[in-house]
Amino acid sequence: MTRPNLSIATLMMLLVLLLCAALVIYPVVFIVAESFNIGEPGVFPPGEIGLHNFAAMSEDMDVIANTLMVAFGATIMAVTIGFILAWILTRTNIPGRARLERLMELPYYMTPLVGAMAWGILAAPKTGLLNQAWRVFGGGADLFDIYSPLGIAWVMALFEGTVAFVMISAAMKSMDPSLEESSRVMGAGKMHTALRITLPLVAPGVLSATVFVFAEMLGAFAAAFVLGIPGRFYVVTTAIWEATQSFPPDYGRAAALGLSLFAAMVVTLTIAKMIMRKGSHATISGKAFRPRPVDAGSARWLLMAIAWGYIVLAVILPLAALLLTSFQRFATVILFDSVFTLANYQTALSTGTLGQAFVNSLILGLSVATIGVAIIGVLTWIIYRSKIQGRTAIEYVVMFPQAVPRLIFGLGLLWAWINIPIPIYGTLWLLGIAYFTVFLPLGLRTLAGVVMQIDRSLEECARVCGASWMQQMRSVSLPLLRPGIAAAWLLIFIASIRELGASIFLMGPQSKVISPAIINAWLSSSSELSAAMAMILTVTVFAAVIVLFAVARKLTGNPA
Amino acid sequence: MTDPRIEVSGLIVRYNDVVAVDNIDFSIQAGELVTLLGPSGCGKTTTLRAIAGLEDPSAGVIRLNNETVYSSAQRRNVPSEKRGLSMVFQSYAIWPHMTVSENVAYGLNIRKLPRAEVDRNVRRVLELVQMSNYADRPASKLSGGQQQRIAVARAIAFSPTVLLFDEPLSNLDAKLRTEMRVELRELQRRLDITSVYVTHDQEEALAISDRVIVMNHGKIEQIGSPETIYNRPESIFVADFVGAANLIKGSLKSPGTFETIGGLHLKAAATTKQNPTTLALRSAYITLQRDADPGSNTANGTIHRRMFHGDFIQYVVDWPAGQLIVRRPPTEMIEEGANVTIAFAPEHCILL
Repeated sequence: MTRPNLSIATLMMLLVLLLCAALVIYPVVFIVAESFNIGEPGVFPPGEIGLHNFAAMSEDMDVIANTLMVAFGATIMAVTIGFILAWILTRTNIPGRARLERLMELPYYMTPLVGAMAWGILAAPKTGLLNQAWRVFGGGADLFDIYSPLGIAWVMALFEGTVAFVMISAAMKSMDPSLEESSRVMGAGKMHTALRITLPLVAPGVLSATVFVFAEMLGAFAAAFVLGIPGRFYVVTTAIWEATQSFPPDYGRAAALGLSLFAAMVVTLTIAKMIMRKGSHATISGKAFRPRPVDAGSARWLLMAIAWGYIVLAVILPLAALLLTSFQRFATVILFDSVFTLANYQTALSTGTLGQAFVNSLILGLSVATIGVAIIGVLTWIIYRSKIQGRTAIEYVVMFPQAVPRLIFGLGLLWAWINIPIPIYGTLWLLGIAYFTVFLPLGLRTLAGVVMQIDRSLEECARVCGASWMQQMRSVSLPLLRPGIAAAWLLIFIASIRELGASIFLMGPQSKVISPAIINAWLSSSSELSAAMAMILTVTVFAAVIVLFAVARKLTGNPA
Repeated sequence: MTDPRIEVSGLIVRYNDVVAVDNIDFSIQAGELVTLLGPSGCGKTTTLRAIAGLEDPSAGVIRLNNETVYSSAQRRNVPSEKRGLSMVFQSYAIWPHMTVSENVAYGLNIRKLPRAEVDRNVRRVLELVQMSNYADRPASKLSGGQQQRIAVARAIAFSPTVLLFDEPLSNLDAKLRTEMRVELRELQRRLDITSVYVTHDQEEALAISDRVIVMNHGKIEQIGSPETIYNRPESIFVADFVGAANLIKGSLKSPGTFETIGGLHLKAAATTKQNPTTLALRSAYITLQRDADPGSNTANGTIHRRMFHGDFIQYVVDWPAGQLIVRRPPTEMIEEGANVTIAFAPEHCILL
């Protein structure tokens, strides 16, 4: 499309590029600088440069070992669960398959923080509801210890590993059923076909999902924090947090650990992508197939029970535990002993700082979603619809935060903005800027998906019919984009109000937000109060999710 | 015939390093339907989109109705919406969030015509494409053929001076395609609207055009009436791409006589080519009977394979110069293995 004045467009483009780069790259520069800083901590640019911070990582070998152990365990569990569920839901004819597939999204929206707390309430040694129940029925020692590395890995697998299901079922769905059918026609049996055709074709997808999930687990924070800190069990992410909280704060250690984690994740993610590319010979044809489901016979009731079992463990049981606890004075599963009360909700909503944290999170969610969608919408249009030079550079910059763990990004933002003479540290402004920056990839991906769905000729036709660019946008592009814009708004809103990794470093006494506030309540050992807060957060998120599903239905029901 | 409505000269379109359209010139007269024909990637759609203002050329001049809409020398590039033309897209580009009549009325409303006139025009064109009963339907609930009609109705509703078609029938099934071909030609004649039509289907191009422009690798191979393109191809590419032709290798023995590989001497039409290497012969112009004209080229052959197509029979005939494809009416059944006398007129032997 012809823009009237190209030089103005180029200039604008340069400005946008610089602005995005400043938001995205600038904090990372600080992390790198700080990790090599062996002089006065927190000074930028560093007074003295050296490798001491990295050398000191030898003292953190136990932390690194912990991280690898938990990440391996969680990955194995997440991929096993994901594979079984993906197979059940894409390849068998269990009853209620469509609804179950929808429900599979819920554990993701539970958030690892809420999930970890709920499982803490359920399975803590002695006080855990499941362990209490076990003793009531005559059991001896504790049945579960969720504070163990295995417990942490379990919770991470349930709530941070949901992507395994998404990736593996995508691999299973994208397989052309005729590949299997032709094997059957050639005379191979069901078993032979599964081993020689299905498995090799799905293997690259499963393998790359495994590596991808492993990278996610390396950077996971909430579960290790909620369940690891009480027993002084540290992984890299929680060690970074601890380094900044100690007195005096050990910024060098935090930055060196952070940069190493970042590097490890980049390497792992690159490997995952390479596996995906190399292995995607015949499976990925761009088309979404609905492979002919295997008739599981009477076993389908068992398979359905397995799928529902996952929903129970990841959604229903945790929510029930939170709900019960949030209405009790002292958390107990022995109902005739319990004292029911609304006090936890009153405290959560009324007390100065806590109530304010909810209000702050809502303000941030509403404004970041609104401003974010407007700006990211323009960026999306520039990147995917205009022909202006430099648009791929912008895409790279905007997608960059995706590669950086949220926690480390938050750390970088902290230093970046403390060192700038604009007094926004400790205000909601800083959190707003941070949210906007870290959610750029989320917004771009969502909006790009919608923009790409709209055939370019729909817009071109409007121009040929005589519409100006403005008229075309108003009468054709925006109406078609509306459901997608609404979906992007909701996703950013949800991501904002549940944000933890970046917020934990950036909130100040006057700018508290929900997730870190819940963690604080949890650490000051009031599981009842934090349960009430978690319930309020979950209800808010689920309300947004319900609207999101409705929008998504509209989006798919009216194909462009 | 000197009222050019579309004039393209020296047009070059580049995508990065790839030259999609390589210095082409042509002009189209008022009321004419001209087809851009060629294999995919030959630059035909790019040329059409450059005329529409949807593609930025690198060089050249495009004039519509005697007005320059693009000129690299004058640094002039009139945006699409100001060119006063209209277009039917390959994907139909029916807006799914509007009803049928909202789609059709779009160009009229953009031009701020009074309500009554908009309604009158919408009714008129919906009648023309026989879709009057669908006016209030949501556009997303239409079949492919119906969407195609609406796309045409929308394109002609605001009475554009030039109409562009980008492979409008390629997404329809074969039966509907031949029907719509007739209807489009009827409509274009009735409205007397200057049209450029892009297709890769040579049969479609021959059937509906006043003139055909054959393109290959971004260049024009030949411009001419469908009969000329078919009977007098000017290049091996055109002979091969349009219609079914035998391309017989050999060399010029003496003026008017071509010696094929295998040593046959064939009389051929006059040629301007210096060193022709190929004799092109349409498979429909060959007979397999004895009663040939005395001036004809004749040779002996054997039927190697017979394929019954319904509307015609295709024979593969072994003859001294290799194998020859011959199409005969379904009434002329000859057994495989039979000896035949091949005959064809010299004027159908095109030296290239």
